[in-house]
Amino acid sequence: MTRLAADGGAVVVATASAVLLLTGALFCLLGALGLLRFPDTASRLHASSKAQTLGVLLSLLGAALRVPLPYAGLLLLVALFQLFTVPVAGQVVGRVAYRTGAVDRSTLVVDELAGRLGPPDPEAAAEPDDTGNGSADEPEDGAGGGRRRES
Amino acid sequence: MSYTDDTTTAAPPAGNRLRGRWPVVLWLWLLWIVLWGSVSPVVLVCGAVVALAVAVVFPLPPIGHRASVHPLGLVVMAGNMLADLVRSALVVAREAVLRGPRTRAAVLEVQLEADTDLLITATSHLVTLTPGTLVLEIDRVRRRLYVHALPVRDASQVPGRRAETSEDERRVVRALGTAEARERLLRRDGHAKGVRR
Repeated sequence: MTRLAADGGAVVVATASAVLLLTGALFCLLGALGLLRFPDTASRLHASSKAQTLGVLLSLLGAALRVPLPYAGLLLLVALFQLFTVPVAGQVVGRVAYRTGAVDRSTLVVDELAGRLGPPDPEAAAEPDDTGNGSADEPEDGAGGGRRRES
Repeated sequence: MSYTDDTTTAAPPAGNRLRGRWPVVLWLWLLWIVLWGSVSPVVLVCGAVVALAVAVVFPLPPIGHRASVHPLGLVVMAGNMLADLVRSALVVAREAVLRGPRTRAAVLEVQLEADTDLLITATSHLVTLTPGTLVLEIDRVRRRLYVHALPVRDASQVPGRRAETSEDERRVVRALGTAEARERLLRRDGHAKGVRR
């Protein structure tokens, strides 16, 4: 700190870095708070995987300002991969949570997915699965074995 | 299989395996070099070998000819994404502090216009990345996303939250969509406006 402070520009960088690190830590804390306080898995995912994404990004940015350039590049690469991987994980966990009933329906104002999920194995139940669960407001659009989804 | 998508095809014949996939190889190679932090011949050669091996052993369906990248659109998308990330991180944080266990959410169905794997994947990625919305299910055939949105106080907020997701889609199509995808989007928007007025 004292060595950096010798240079005017360095003070600015050090301050910016400190602000970024602290803000990042704050968002991580808020994410953890959401994790504790939110009622079900899906809501917790919002807090844990994403309020925290911002926290991690800010922390990495703050750290990148204080290390030599090649390492800063690496940290930014880490940030980039965070942006690419966190949503995928969140999506998979959310999907499983909904399908296994870990989403508390009583917290939902609207649930437009309710009753729209076919049987767990669409191949096994090849024929009209939509008629069975009360939401057959859609004509089968040639989708054959019901609803195919990619994860 | 009843996939109607146009990009999930069987593995291409062996001779074609690397054609059109050089950007992936190049990216993996650069990544390898950056991670090793050196440009010694050993690193360069090993990196090239590993990158080629990965591209051959784990082939992904090619997307090159289906996408057209619009640099300006990409910048707009990235900028909006960062702004959204900050804005909605604040919203979720506020919700966690003030309401916590009493928070209310909604699962919304969003109809997409985009009809390629790349655009739908990118859209759901973007939607999930911004806190406050989380994709629970993708109905690829009917082109629908099922989005868990938080917080949603009551039914009157539903259309707004749905519009947020459509807005994400619009940005993705502007950044990565083919001319056809952009046209479809324009047609839908024009239609929506016509109905409203």
